[in-house]
Order: sequence, then structure tokens, then C-alpha cells
Amino acid sequence: MRIPKLAQFIIIVAVLYALLKAPGVFLGKPIPESLIFMYMVLVVATVLLVMTSTDESAEELFSPIRALVQDPKKAFARNIVFVIAPLVAGYIAYGLSSKGMEPPAELRSIHPAPLSKMAAYGKRFDMATLENPLRATETEDKEIFNAYVAEGAGIYFKNCFFCHGGKLDGRGHYAHALTPRPLPFKGRDTIAQLSESYVFWRVVKGGPGLPSEGGPADSSMPAWEDKLTEEEVWKVVLFLYDFTGNRPRERAREGK
Amino acid sequence: MTYRGWIIGGAFSLVTSILLSATALAFGDVGRGKAVYEKHCQYCHGRDGAGDGPAAGFLNPPPRDFTLGTYKWKTTPFDEMTPSDDDFVRMINGWASHNAVPGWDGLNDTSMPGWSDVIGDNDIKAVIAYLKNLSGLEAPVKPPIDMKAKVAPSKESIERGKKIFADVCSECHGDEGRGDGRKKLKDDWGARTWPRDLTKPWTFRAGSAPVDIYARVTVGIPGTQMPSFADPQSKKALSDEARWDVANYAASLVAPYKKPGEGTVIKAVKVEGALPDAPGAQWNRAAFESFYLAPQMIEGERLFTPTLNSVSVKALFNDTEIAFLVEWDDPTESVPGDESVMALSAGEVFLDKAAIEFPASLGRADERPYFGMGSDARPVDIWLWQNDGAVRSIRARGTASVEDGPDKVRAKGAYEKGAWRVVFKGALKREWKDGASEGIFVPVAFGLWDGSNGDKGAKHTMTGWNYFALNEGGGVSPYIWAIGAVVVVFILELLWFRGARRGRDR
Ligand code: HEC
Ligand code: HEC
Ligand code: HEC
Repeated sequence: MRIPKLAQFIIIVAVLYALLKAPGVFLGKPIPESLIFMYMVLVVATVLLVMTSTDESAEELFSPIRALVQDPKKAFARNIVFVIAPLVAGYIAYGLSSKGMEPPAELRSIHPAPLSKMAAYGKRFDMATLENPLRATETEDKEIFNAYVAEGAGIYFKNCFFCHGGKLDGRGHYAHALTPRPLPFKGRDTIAQLSESYVFWRVVKGGPGLPSEGGPADSSMPAWEDKLTEEEVWKVVLFLYDFTGNRPRERAREGK
Repeated sequence: MTYRGWIIGGAFSLVTSILLSATALAFGDVGRGKAVYEKHCQYCHGRDGAGDGPAAGFLNPPPRDFTLGTYKWKTTPFDEMTPSDDDFVRMINGWASHNAVPGWDGLNDTSMPGWSDVIGDNDIKAVIAYLKNLSGLEAPVKPPIDMKAKVAPSKESIERGKKIFADVCSECHGDEGRGDGRKKLKDDWGARTWPRDLTKPWTFRAGSAPVDIYARVTVGIPGTQMPSFADPQSKKALSDEARWDVANYAASLVAPYKKPGEGTVIKAVKVEGALPDAPGAQWNRAAFESFYLAPQMIEGERLFTPTLNSVSVKALFNDTEIAFLVEWDDPTESVPGDESVMALSAGEVFLDKAAIEFPASLGRADERPYFGMGSDARPVDIWLWQNDGAVRSIRARGTASVEDGPDKVRAKGAYEKGAWRVVFKGALKREWKDGASEGIFVPVAFGLWDGSNGDKGAKHTMTGWNYFALNEGGGVSPYIWAIGAVVVVFILELLWFRGARRGRDR
């Protein structure tokens, strides 16, 4: 069966709208309303253009609407539409005007690219080659590795869990008071996507060390370089991966 | 063996194995519980359950010491020490359904998370068995209290509850329930405890419905000084009905405006003439917006055990000035040197303070200063009030570089029954004034100090950047827009319909 043009139009627009809304509904990362509005104007305009490119297709698109008004047999449907349409318009107008002004949209890159060099602890780290010096113990001496992880746990539960949470899910006691929220370590879309050197950089330099697309003015992530030693940071990094069962991203795969 | 013997033997082993596994499940497997405990619980509650994990020193309330067998949030009667198994499940999985606050899924406003999303039901049972084992708790002898005999929260019940509250609760919870009691309280483990602020039920650990409060009043909160009011030995014993009445009253104390929303903007309201210097009717034209507070744990001396958890703000402006009314609940008015204040305080008493922070100059959103007192390149201006009456205007370029600011600020505060209300007044900055005709958003952040809690200098509570909005354009009411849209669309329809009919008639 062929889908009528008008229904096609409605379906295409609805599907695209749903796609734009999906990140907000499912991932809790909504696209700002003002952006959605802009995209939708574009979408409607483009679809209309395509669908009315020939006279026949334009006719096919609009004929059901015309029939609604002109065909006496459709009087009942028409009356319903004629009542509903103004009410919908009123509702939309109310919604738009009562929202008043919307604050400027804040788009923030969650995992911005680090600088290539980082100065800390009196030396310079080359981010491209930096590795966790304690990682080797995982295969070489499990006992020492476990001791490092345990120390990392102690560091985490003295410094980080207030924000990042006792479950490492980014929902600590004070997380709700911070914008942006602390990030989770548990789950896939987290440190599992990052190399240990990246996590090391984030812990050492914190929010203020972010490049401008990361929102350095707003992040409450502390810079730990003068509160934790280099080795302590590597230990807590080991703990974050070990506790969550995540594996650091291998350098071989990164950037290729 | 005979045919019959097979059946009997089979049935026997079936029944025993079901019974055995049922008891194992019902009481949980201690060994398995230990494994769960060591993975998830030990860093707060301690390796051996003594409440002394690495996190313990940084928490108020501190994590429970399981070796004593005292539990706070239970529903078995006051003379029954052991919580029911359902109580244990609720303590560990949380009362997530009440008054949701993003991220709080366990015991609200504590570090204790809810565990149902990481630990399966059987492992929860196992860890409960392990906890009970730590203090040798057996099954409770008495069943949970009856929570069905409900007195509806009618006007009369609340009115009766109000009197009871004044008699038995207000000495700790304060006259208006803001937690500003006149008693210094310690729990059995020696930690400072603060009676709950009953106007903010989303901070309750164990549910905020009248029935939950009834349970607290009836059972008490073991280990703390909040007693059971069902104990006939107590001079303050209350009848069952009276306990429902006081629970209904306590539930009615909620102040919804204090509960922060997501991404709220303080909408400053334009007034003609002078701005008020003090709280009063003139402020009714503006609405409060509320924000959660986090303790400062980023730089310098850190605060780990805050007493303040939210702040509410509204703003008025005229052609030249802006005024902010900043209101927050604080259990104590901190007057250094005052005897009665010292008696309530945890240690040395410092001043209570409030600060409002703005970018010294506005740029694009991605160019604003660091919310923690700005930086060299992007300074902030801070308006600071202290409860000794001093007011300062500060320009800061990071925490290390603080000097007198350019703004002329006046501020006045008054403490009443557990709430500070401070009115700040200052000139509209040039950029704000210029933007106000079309509507402008100005980043703003707040900082608060509770001097009786040892808050001083970098030790304070704070918000991140939020916005206040200035808009002079005497906007049209949304209802007018809505009616206009209805009329316009309807007229268009009529025109179209008439046109179509004419076309057909022809
Ligand atoms: C005051 C709250 C706070 C504390 C304390 C804190 N963090 Fe953070 N952290 C944040 C916030 C907020 C973010 C998200 C914003 C950002 O990326 O800067 C974050 C981000 C991170 C990230 C980046 C994660 C990613 O996926 O990119 C890492 C890694 C991290 N924190 C580790 C730590 C460690 C380790 C500690 C303790 C030594 C710690 N944090 C303490 C608030 C905090
Ligand atoms: C991040 C720290 C932290 C972790 C991890 C933690 N708890 Fe808690 N827990 C607390 C705090 C803090 C309290 C005290 C709450 C209070 O006093 O109201 C507490 C209280 C409790 C209580 C007592 C409630 C009552 O009614 O007295 C139980 C039971 C409990 N936790 C079980 C667990 C179990 C089981 C785990 C591991 C699955 C766990 N906790 C992990 C911080 C933690
Ligand atoms: C002796 C002091 C004291 C008295 C009297 C007292 N309380 Fe409390 N109350 C406390 C303390 C302390 C807490 C906090 C305990 C904690 O979190 O450890 C508290 C907590 C509460 C809570 C919060 C429960 C939760 O789930 O978080 C409620 C509700 C409450 N009290 C109601 C009452 C009512 C109603 C009365 C009078 C019938 C009363 N209290 C009398 C000291 C007291």
C-alpha cells in the first residue's frame, strides 16, 4: 500500500523530531530547545521543498487538506479540526511566551582533547607516550598491584567520593549541587573510553586545566597536583579502573 | 528399596533441600555477604564494620558502626533493638521514592547511597546477614509497629499537632521546625548531630510522608537524642493519636519554594521608586529561586561537614540599583564570644557570612571567569556581608589576589527562628543596565558561612554559576498571547472556509 503524501510528510517530520529529542529522553543530555527549533524549521522547509518539487506531488500533498474544507461529507472531521487547531495554536503560544527568556545554551565537550605536553610535579609529561608506571605490576606481581589498588581506594575515599560517589557512579552526596555534574567512572561511556594518561591529566589539572571547549569556568573538579603526589594519582587511577572493571583504552587504538 | 521407599526418600530430600535453600536465602549467606561488604561497604563502614573506613573522618553523619547493633531508621518498637529484615532492605536500598533529588537514591543528604542498582536481591540478603553477624543480632522478637491506624492530615489534626510540637519537638527542631533547637546534641558514637530542618523534607533519610514521621516519633531515632514518644516511661509520652497529629503537623511544615529546581534563573522584577532595605511585602512581587549548596572542597582549606544545604534568592531592580534578598536556614546565629552561642557550637565560633559573586565584566558564555573567585585574566566582583554588620565589595583574581572592589554595596541581615534573611543593594553595573532593555542574563554565584560550624575563610558552602535575568520590556502576559493565537487561527480558518465554499458554489 502506498502511504499518502500528507502522512509521509507527517511521519518524516515526526521521526526527525523524535531523533532530536532522543538524547534528552534516553541519555539525559538534551539538545537545547532553541537548537531543536532551528533544526526543525530547516527540516520542515526542506521536506516541503522536496515534496512540492513537481505540481503533481504538491497536489497530492495538499489535496487531503483541501478536501477537508471543500468536501461536504467531511464536515464533521472539519469541525473537529477547526476547533482543535486554534486550541493547539493557543497552547503553543502560551508555552513559548510563558517560558520567557531562556538562558544562553551551554554546550560543553565532556572529553576534550588534552594538550600534547603537560607541566606538573616539576617536569614535563609528553601526553603521547605517557603510561601508568604502576600498570606493569598487574601482570608482573599481582600482590603489589593489589596493594596499589587498595591504596588508591583509600585515596579515593578520602578525596573523591563526595562528588563522584561511593558507587563511582558520579552521584556523590554533593553531586546534585554542582553544574556540570561529576562524571561517572562506572559503565561504558566513561574512563573506559580513555587512556590512563588522559585520566592522569584530568586528575592532575582538574577543571581549571580544561581547554575552553570543556568549560573550565564551571567545572568543580579540583586540580590535585598540590594535594596528591604523582604516584598517588597513578594509584587512584588504577583503583578507578579496577573497581569498575573497566579497561583503559590502549594507545595503539587511540587516534588511529 | 521399594517403589514407595523411592517416593518417600525423594520427597524427603526435595523438602529438605527446599527448606535449606529457603533458610539460606531468608537469612542470607554470611560468607557471600562478606565478599559484597568488602567490595562495596568497607571504605566507609570499615574493614571490620566498626565505622572506621578511610572515608569516615570526612563524614557527618558518620558511617554506621555495625559492631554495636544500633540502627537509626527502623520500624520495630523502641524496646526492640533489632530492625526487621524489611527495615534492613530499606536502609540499604534507600527510600528513593520520596522527594527525589537528582543523585540521591539512598539515605538522603548523607553519603550512604542506595544499592539496589549494583547489588542483587540475594546479595542484599547476604550482606544483611553479614551485618547482623557483626554485632550478633538475632531475628527481632517484636514485630514492626502498626502503621495503619492512620489519622488523616485534616486541619484539626494539624492544629492539634501544632500544640504538641511546641511542647515536645521544638526544643530540638526549633519553633518553626528549621532545626534551630536550643540544645547541643551528640549521638551515641560521639558525633555532633543536628536536628532535621523539617521545612525541607527532601533531606529526610527515611521518608517524608506522615506515616514515615509517625514511625520516627513512635520508634525514636536510636543512637541519637531523638527519643521514642511511645515509651510510657518517658515524661513526654504521647498517645497514638497525638503521634499521628504531630506527624501530620511536621509533614505540613514543608516549604516547597526551598526545593531547588534544575537550571533555574532568578528573575529580577522591575519596580518604580526606591528598593527595600529589609524583607517585607514589597518583595512579594518577585519569586524565590533556590539552589543547592556544596561544601568548598576544591582549594585551600576544605569543608567536609557542612550544616547549610540550600539557599533561596529573589531580586528587585529599578533604573539605577538592584537588590537581592538572600534567605537560608542556619541552625545557629553565630555571634563570636556570646555564651549561649558558644554552648551550642561545635568549636570556636566565627561569623556567619554571605557572599554574592558576579563576573567583573560580561563576555561570551565560554569566556566567563572561574566560579571559584575568578582568575588573573578574568576577575570577579564579590559582595560580602557578615553578621557583625560589616559589608565589603571585593574584586578577586583568584583566591590569592583579593582587593577592594569598585561596587558600592549596602547589606543588612536579620536572623529569625532558624533563618537568615539578608538584603543586598548595589548599583546596576553599566553592562547590566544596557542589557536590561532587551533582557540580559548575568552569571551569579553564592557563598555562605556558618560560623558555629567552624566555617571561615575558604571553609564555606557555595553554588556554582547560575543566572539572574534583568528584563525591562514590560512583556505581554502569556494568556494574551494564547488568546491572540486562538483568535488569529480561527479567523484564518473562517476565511479559508469561506473562500473554499465560494470556489465550490461557483
Ligand atoms: C568537588 C567535587 C569533585 C571532587 C572532590 C573530585 N571531582 Fe573529579 N570531577 C568533578 C566534576 C564536576 C567533573 C566533571 C567536570 C569535568 O570534567 O571537569 C569531574 C571529572 C573527573 C574526571 C574526568 C572523567 C572523564 O570521564 O573525563 C576524572 C578522571 C576525575 N574527575 C577524577 C577525580 C578523582 C580521582 C578525584 C579525587 C582525587 C576527584 N575527581 C575529585 C568533581 C569532583
Ligand atoms: C560512601 C560511604 C558509604 C558506603 C560506601 C556505604 N555506606 Fe552505609 N552508611 C553511610 C553513612 C554516612 C551512614 C549513616 C547514615 C545516617 O546516620 O543516617 C550509613 C548507614 C548505613 C546503615 C545504617 C542505617 C540505619 O538505619 O542506621 C546501614 C545498614 C548501611 N549503611 C549499610 C551499608 C551497606 C550494606 C553498604 C555496602 C553495600 C554501605 N552501607 C556502604 C555511608 C556509606
Ligand atoms: C532531643 C532532641 C529531639 C527531639 C525532642 C525531637 N527530635 Fe526529631 N530529630 C532529632 C535529631 C538529632 C534528628 C536527626 C537524627 C539523625 O539524622 O541522626 C531528628 C530527626 C527528625 C526527623 C527526620 C527523620 C528522617 O527520616 O530524616 C523528623 C521527621 C523528626 N526528627 C521529627 C520530630 C518530631 C515530630 C518530634 C516531636 C514529636 C521530634 N522530632 C523531637 C532530635 C530531636
